[in-house]
Amino acid sequence: MTRPSEIKPREDEQKAALFADWIIGDEFPPLTFTITPDIVEEYFSVVNADKVNYLIDGRQAAPPNVIAVYLMAVMYRKYPPQQGGIMIGNTFNFYHPIWADETTEITGTGRLTNKYEKKGRKYICYTVNFHRTDGVHLTSIDHTSAFPN
Amino acid sequence: MIKKTILQTQNLFDNYGQLNGDNDILHYDDKFAKDRGFRGTLGHGLMYTAYVSDVAAKKYGKAWHYKGQLQVKFIAPVCPGDQLTVQIDETGEAECSSQFGKTLVGKALLRE
Repeated sequence: MTRPSEIKPREDEQKAALFADWIIGDEFPPLTFTITPDIVEEYFSVVNADKVNYLIDGRQAAPPNVIAVYLMAVMYRKYPPQQGGIMIGNTFNFYHPIWADETTEITGTGRLTNKYEKKGRKYICYTVNFHRTDGVHLTSIDHTSAFPN
Repeated sequence: MIKKTILQTQNLFDNYGQLNGDNDILHYDDKFAKDRGFRGTLGHGLMYTAYVSDVAAKKYGKAWHYKGQLQVKFIAPVCPGDQLTVQIDETGEAECSSQFGKTLVGKALLRE
């Protein structure tokens, strides 16, 4: 089991990356982790998800967005986070279920796609793809956040 | 129209943050958040993405896992005490709103 907190740099643990540090096109190092039934169960609870919504031909799947709790770890390992970040938007594409009754080994890869300043806020955009380690594409996420510095 | 309503609490923010590993004090420190002009601590954006995805999973079933596309934009903060309603209409338009107005807009669709 990989808890996100085990692999995600936390705010104030390291010197934070600032806007000037971000390099458009920069790729994030691949991050491999496992999602276990325990993590899925906890995720169902913390997002008030209804399990019956995720039954596929009688088999329990996880909410496909369970992978979102690992999203920022992929990016923060390259660019440690600063306090005061605000999420602006996301686009998720789902390609394959993550099963709730088995352990899934996953690798996340990604890159910084854009950064810009607008009305005093500093925006960063990045994309992350998650594949099972056997190659099955699970999810892609395009993400935008704003940071104070 | 499919919808659900969830009362927002600091406990919800704390539990999501414990799993997510998010230590940004905007989610936990009421004074810090109010000093930055917010009504209180802020809920996690990805928690609200999950709320919308849950309603979409109910709407689309199995296909959501293979062809689901969810676009969300956060337009206002969600704070403890907010009564948050999450809904997706027949065309896939998604929205979260509280007693203070809309907090999220987006679309939940199936790719061709």
